[in-house]
Amino acid sequence: MTSRPEQDGDQQLRLLADAWDAAGEHWRDGPARQFGEGPLASALQDSRTYLEALRKLMDLLEAADRETEG
Amino acid sequence: MTAVHADIDALRGLHDALVRYRHAQREVAASADGQLRATRAALEAKASALRVQVALGQAEYAACLDRAAQADPDEPVDCSGYARAVATNGERLEQIQRWQQRIEAEAAEFAGIAGRFGALLAEDLPRLEDHLTAIIASLEAARRVQGAS
Repeated sequence: MTSRPEQDGDQQLRLLADAWDAAGEHWRDGPARQFGEGPLASALQDSRTYLEALRKLMDLLEAADRETEG
Repeated sequence: MTAVHADIDALRGLHDALVRYRHAQREVAASADGQLRATRAALEAKASALRVQVALGQAEYAACLDRAAQADPDEPVDCSGYARAVATNGERLEQIQRWQQRIEAEAAEFAGIAGRFGALLAEDLPRLEDHLTAIIASLEAARRVQGAS
């Protein structure tokens, strides 16, 4: 098992959240609020759900590798 | 001028971040698929090797039992080592098969979530990017009108 993909995914999620925070400093009108609370929030939540499921799967793959060694 | 266009610049930054995010998460998903494939292949290789060892061990054990049946009662043949080897390899094979089943069950559950994430990357995020592009264009047009008046 090499690097854990969900850790890369978590990092990308943080970068996107940071970009949204940075944009929010200058873009604060109604469409911004709708964008942030609607489709973007939904995309971030779907991403978190995926990355959590991926973490579980990678844990299982690591355990399988470890437990069936030798 | 910078302050006037700060919201547009911020939107462009967010748009670019969304594009980078989509590409990076596609790599994450591809890497996950690759690791799942690799583990499945590794387990199948171990199971396959053990199946061969179990079959060979059973043949050796059967041959030993034949020798034992024909042996001089004063010089008995001990086949317990073959029996232990068959049992040990059989247990290891069963353990690997149980892991294979667990992984297939988990992978089936994961596939649904991964499918929704794939749709997010393939459809929803590009739509968000387009939405931002339209907002940027609208703001730029408004600024041009303001600048001309």
